[in-house]
Amino acid sequence: MILLATLGRRLLVAVPILLIVSALLFIALRVLPVDPAAMSMPPNATRAEIDLARRQMGLDRPLPEQYAIWLRQAVHGDFGRSIHLRRDALQLVGETLPATIELTVFAMLVAGALGLAGGLVLFSLRDRAAETVAETGTTLLMSVPEFLWALLFIFIFGVLLHALPFTGRLDAGLQQPRITGFLLLDALLVRRPEVFLNALMHLVLPAVALGLAFAPPIMRVLRSSLLDVYHEDYIRQARLRGISETRILLHHALKNAALPTLTLMGVQFGFLFGGSLLVEVIYSYPGMGNLMVDAVRNADLPVIQVVGLTYCVVVLLINSVVDGLYLVLNPRLRPR
Amino acid sequence: MSLLVARGLTVSATLGEARVPVLRALNLSVAPGRVLGLVGESGAGKSMIGRAIAHLLPPGFAITSGTLRFDGRDLLRMPAARRRSLLGRDIAFVPQEPLTALNPVLTIATQMDEHFSHLGVTSRMERRKRAMAALEAVHLPEAEALLRRYPHQLSGGMCQRVLIAMAFASRPRLVVADEPTTALDVTVQARIVELMRELQQRDATAVLFITHDLRLAAQVCDDIAVLYAGSIVEQGPARRVFGLPAHPYTRCLQLAIPSMKGPRRALYALPEQMPGLRAIARMEGCRFAPRCPIAQSECFTAEPPLHGTEHAAACFFTDWISAIELPDTPRPPAHARSEAPLLEVSGLSKHFASGGLLRRSQTVAVRKADFIIAPGEFLAVVGESGSGKTTLGRLLMGLERPTFGRIVLAGREVTRGAGAARRHRVRTAQMVFQDSQSALNPRRRVGAIVTQAMEASWQHAPRDVRMQRARELLAEMGLAQELASHTPAQLSGGQRQRVNIARALCVVPKLLVADEIVSGLDVSVQAQLLNLLQRLRAELDFAMLFISHDLAVVRHLCDRVLVMYRGEIVEQGPTEAVFSAPQHEYTKALLAAVPAEL
Amino acid sequence: MPRWLHSGRAIAGLVLALAVLLAALLAPIVAPHDPNEQDLLNTLLPAAWQAGGTRAHWLGTDALGRDVLSRLLYGARVAITVALLAASGAMLLGSVLAIIAGYFGGWLDWLIGRAVDVWMSFPPVVLSLILMTGLGVGERNVILAIVLVDWTRFCRVLRSEVIVVARRDYVTAARLVGFSHWRAITREVLPATIPLLVTLLTLEMGIAVVVEAILSFVGLGVSSNQIAWGQMIADGRDAIYQAPWNLLAPVLAIFITVAAFNMLGDGLRRTLDVRMIEGRA
Repeated sequence: MILLATLGRRLLVAVPILLIVSALLFIALRVLPVDPAAMSMPPNATRAEIDLARRQMGLDRPLPEQYAIWLRQAVHGDFGRSIHLRRDALQLVGETLPATIELTVFAMLVAGALGLAGGLVLFSLRDRAAETVAETGTTLLMSVPEFLWALLFIFIFGVLLHALPFTGRLDAGLQQPRITGFLLLDALLVRRPEVFLNALMHLVLPAVALGLAFAPPIMRVLRSSLLDVYHEDYIRQARLRGISETRILLHHALKNAALPTLTLMGVQFGFLFGGSLLVEVIYSYPGMGNLMVDAVRNADLPVIQVVGLTYCVVVLLINSVVDGLYLVLNPRLRPR
Repeated sequence: MSLLVARGLTVSATLGEARVPVLRALNLSVAPGRVLGLVGESGAGKSMIGRAIAHLLPPGFAITSGTLRFDGRDLLRMPAARRRSLLGRDIAFVPQEPLTALNPVLTIATQMDEHFSHLGVTSRMERRKRAMAALEAVHLPEAEALLRRYPHQLSGGMCQRVLIAMAFASRPRLVVADEPTTALDVTVQARIVELMRELQQRDATAVLFITHDLRLAAQVCDDIAVLYAGSIVEQGPARRVFGLPAHPYTRCLQLAIPSMKGPRRALYALPEQMPGLRAIARMEGCRFAPRCPIAQSECFTAEPPLHGTEHAAACFFTDWISAIELPDTPRPPAHARSEAPLLEVSGLSKHFASGGLLRRSQTVAVRKADFIIAPGEFLAVVGESGSGKTTLGRLLMGLERPTFGRIVLAGREVTRGAGAARRHRVRTAQMVFQDSQSALNPRRRVGAIVTQAMEASWQHAPRDVRMQRARELLAEMGLAQELASHTPAQLSGGQRQRVNIARALCVVPKLLVADEIVSGLDVSVQAQLLNLLQRLRAELDFAMLFISHDLAVVRHLCDRVLVMYRGEIVEQGPTEAVFSAPQHEYTKALLAAVPAEL
Repeated sequence: MPRWLHSGRAIAGLVLALAVLLAALLAPIVAPHDPNEQDLLNTLLPAAWQAGGTRAHWLGTDALGRDVLSRLLYGARVAITVALLAASGAMLLGSVLAIIAGYFGGWLDWLIGRAVDVWMSFPPVVLSLILMTGLGVGERNVILAIVLVDWTRFCRVLRSEVIVVARRDYVTAARLVGFSHWRAITREVLPATIPLLVTLLTLEMGIAVVVEAILSFVGLGVSSNQIAWGQMIADGRDAIYQAPWNLLAPVLAIFITVAAFNMLGDGLRRTLDVRMIEGRA
């Protein structure tokens, strides 16, 4: 109940944020040094032809007017056509977003699992000699950004070991079922386990590369939250009542330490989601990231606009969910 | 047959490479069914005993020798699992800070359920019934609804009752209460202490009541043991120890506590403070000798043993105790000045708005305060938490903007504190904060801190002038000159508080606002500061608004008193008159809650 | 040895960072070849210890026959420049806004907080790409883009710290003895936040190196007449079978540089721990 209320409130606040974001995007993109009109025409186009294209794209109108037009169309679901691919921009997003979500979800699971396990291990090593080694290891782990992991994995598992695939979502020979866009789900729906397995294999390297890059901060925060919690009075009081250490860790400490960890994971999601862009490029994974990079290279404004906005929407949505979850888990924030 | 017996118990701390004892060869016994009070100031080591019993010493501390037996069983050599089954069941603990002693993300029901599960109650329904019964035993109404709540939804007093309920639920043989009422308001304190007495008598539980408040111990406990520098210096029945102390330290403590009855006299201020752990380890004779008013040369070479049967004391010269007396210094007459009031407050109110964008609610922190402070007068503001006394102080200093009302300081209105009004207020009124630790910038040196006022641009003074003033101020506070180059971290609590006062007095203000400046200080340090304030008052002739919850201190120091309850001044007048013949119900309740004097 | 160096990690990080800095400064002197010199007869040579490599090119050559080692050293120049300038810029912008928000509170805090919220609803990678699209390639724009994206990181973290410090009694006391807001901020609040600032700055330098590499990788980083590690990686991907060090060398270079800054930041965080200075621990 509280979860829904927070979500509702957050989403309401999200609307003005999205408006501002889209306006900022608009402004940022319209001061381009490149001319999108010129880029959409063949190289030997004449000045007049380019000018005609500009008028057709509406690029000759004043900025606020362009934005108003865009906004009006956007509210009706029309986000324009890709200049480069000559297709409806929103549809392009619809085709690529599920792939990115699949990848991101898996990566988040990897990051969460590794973060939890690693955090507990780090915590259990406190006050021991191995702690410094483990901490330095975490720092080094944190120094490898996701795109480096992605490249390293290709090198080790793809080139050297030939163990896992590193291109696309599916092997070239297999036909991709298209129902929801979520490949794993679709494969189950059409009852083709070999497609499911193949898709899973293709997801392993990119998801692990992405998740591995974002696990260390989670480890760190879980460890330091646990350390903080263990200094609290109620832990000592529980010990004085004779409660066992295991029970203290699982029932008393973790519940409290989960809160800052959850907050961090919420913040990290934004970074992870952006990091998926690079991983997609490196693995030629047909998601929104690849779409964005192509659009940026071709100055494809409508696509940049809608993809940028989509990234925002997803991040805002996830943030709202995390906020609501935090409220559910933390009784202190509930009304007295 | 004693229930808990400590023989030669020594707990040591590892400081650097050295091992220094915190508790030295302690001999203690708690008889079944009796309440033993362990009284000591901070640094005496009293909290170590509770920890030693539970075998939960902080890192760096260890039990290095001696024995500790509970019901004949050796607590120190017991296997961990055995000890864990003892804790919570036969030996229970009541903590100091009730609000943080319960897990904030679990309901009361969950925590009590876990406790009863630990006690061996297997059936869920049975656990629930026991929890309800336990809550009723501590007189908590609506037990059903309370179980569903979270700790932050309860007051400090209610949380402490829950913790006491859990402690006494198993009818333990021994309850260790470590400063159980220190964090609570005075009226709540009285009720909690009463509750503990009731439960203790019902079950004939032995209680080890650890506190720094000698008077409270005398009221609550059957026997008292006084702890100084890690060893027991006096032990015996409570009335005897307090009424007729046999050790100079106890006697000095007794004389340092301001009293609610009898003539107002100066307090006995022991010089300096309890020596630190390293200093204690290096000393050879009686640890109290350096501060003792009747110390002789033997006291410095040999440590006196605790001798006596029922009422024992560790002193060679117990017969000379009665020689420690206070000179009967007459109190300076109350000010009857006919000058214009220094501070005039009329209709002062402060409303706080809270809540989100949609649900805004108002809290009234201060409601229509009207009072006057005459030049050179000490006015006290007493009340419990939530009374608004702190907000009142902040309003006077301009830290909060009044919602209604007027403040006139030395003839000028300073209600809206901007520009010239602000400068006038800065020159005329200064504040001394309670928490001396957070009130002093840890990066600055003491000399710079006390003359901070002279750095502000519009009263800027050159360096040598500031240094000269710093020297003057330190001397006036009775602080050594060398402290000017120290950082706050290198000072003791009492020294820091003096630096606090010195900073406020740098511009020689006419009004000092002191917010709980002696709370949380040891009795001897408190006595030193109160004597200092009296002396400064005579020398510098400033007025003071003294905010406090301690009625005895207020009676000792202040001429007039304001009693605040829930933001309103419910009673005001000369201190003696108000305290001896209170008119308002709340004032009466406050006075009734002060531990009675023997 | 100054107190802030009392950590093995800080020293290790500092040494490594200085090594990278030296490599960047001395590249024109130390590099064995001209990094732009093409040798079309010797393209895609593997490293000197692999079959087919030569001593003349320790880490091999790229698709245009350019020496990988020299390019690596020159790439450090861009990396370090961007790291220093962008991190400092982000710190300046972020901390000024954080102090204003945390100290004054009220509507200023609300406004800055909302601005940070809006900014942070963008994944940083996406935002920097979009900014670079708008600004155009070039080192100066890369620095600007990083400043405009990462100031929020500073602002958010520092604001919490500023709020804690500003509520301390000694800041109130300074105001009560007559300090103006400016003096209270500069003399009382700011010094308390310097340990955190320094730590964040060091960590931000590592982040800046990564962002610059990402932008160059995608082709939206520094202009093509400069050498950047990200660009080397993009080129090296195709040569992964014949001359793997085309890819591995810049990957390692990025890792070492970022690790150096992270270790330094980590070590500093321990030695400058505010809690220890203020005696709270």
